[in-house]
Amino acid sequence: MASTAAVPFWRAAGMTYITYSNICANLVRNCLKEPFKAEALNREKVHFSLSKWAGGKPEKPILRSDTPGV
Amino acid sequence: MAMAVFRREGRRLLPSIAARPIAAIRSPLASDQEEGLLGVRSISTQVVRNRMKSVKNIQKITKAMKMVAASKLRAVQGRAENSRGLWQPFTALLGDNPSIDVKKSVVVTLSSDKGLCGGINSTVVKVSRALYKLNAGPEKEVKFVIVGEKAKAIMFRDSKNDISLTVTELNKNPLNYAQVSVLADDILKNVEFDALRIVYNKFHSVVAFLPTVATVLSPEIIEKESEVGGKLGELDSYEIEGGETKGEILQNLAEFQFSCVMFNAVLENACSEMGARMSAMDSSSRNAGEMLDRLTLTYNRTRQASITTELIEIISGASALEAAK
Repeated sequence: MASTAAVPFWRAAGMTYITYSNICANLVRNCLKEPFKAEALNREKVHFSLSKWAGGKPEKPILRSDTPGV
Repeated sequence: MAMAVFRREGRRLLPSIAARPIAAIRSPLASDQEEGLLGVRSISTQVVRNRMKSVKNIQKITKAMKMVAASKLRAVQGRAENSRGLWQPFTALLGDNPSIDVKKSVVVTLSSDKGLCGGINSTVVKVSRALYKLNAGPEKEVKFVIVGEKAKAIMFRDSKNDISLTVTELNKNPLNYAQVSVLADDILKNVEFDALRIVYNKFHSVVAFLPTVATVLSPEIIEKESEVGGKLGELDSYEIEGGETKGEILQNLAEFQFSCVMFNAVLENACSEMGARMSAMDSSSRNAGEMLDRLTLTYNRTRQASITTELIEIISGASALEAAK
């Protein structure tokens, strides 16, 4: 079907498999009906603060918040 | 006789009269730095009472913290045990190679953000440092990714040049897979690795948490190892459906494996943190109780001693008056 060199579209776009599966999961969660939908979307909340280090010094921290699946 | 009494009590009476000429009868509770019978200073009751009050407050606080930790533990424990099923198929398929020799290892250290949780963070840091020593050498490098404030503070002191990422505030919202997978994604994108070693405290029971290392290999290493043979060599016997090659599937699998293992590790670490905090707060309340008992004894002794000296002064004063009559 596909040639050996072709990669799936999402990998060509720079996403990892984790990102891809999270987006799919988000789509599935959005298909739920109302009370369950709010609970399920609640389970997707993201919050942490990441900071890269260079040469023993931390750079400015990046806050990743509320970006489920991206 | 009067002179004898006077002489005996002279040592007590004279200093007290000289030092505090006005106060004839003093309340023992208001005294500060009172001279004992032999001129030995004893701790005053006011100071002891203040200490007792503060120790009692601390005991209440630690008891409350223990209850809070116990309830949080109950909530997370079920999830952690259920999440163990996520990575078990991966280990069944790909095997576990903790002793693999690779050029670039990344050690992911999981710890807590808050303190007062016993020794779990220091054990995790010890294991991470040991891994560093094991894996460092010519042509090999080890980098750290640190999750949690506590490990960051400890490792900053001597390994700061090897840290590549730190993550904090992960426990602000209840832990969920989406959060951990975004974190895993960030790690994958920012750090080059041949093998990832995740160090965390595995939760065995409320009083037992063992530091554990979970190893996730990158797809290239898996390919190399599968040529060597062993468990990974059997991968070729699996049929691959769809249009993907073995290399692609391995890459997807490796990423997903990392995400699942991280999720389980984060949950188990949270459980261990709650359990450690419970036992730390429990022993702390017990210590506070013992301290309170000892302080109560000291307080009663001091109170009785001051009452006794009060009586002695009055009686000796009265007998001196009588003798003078």
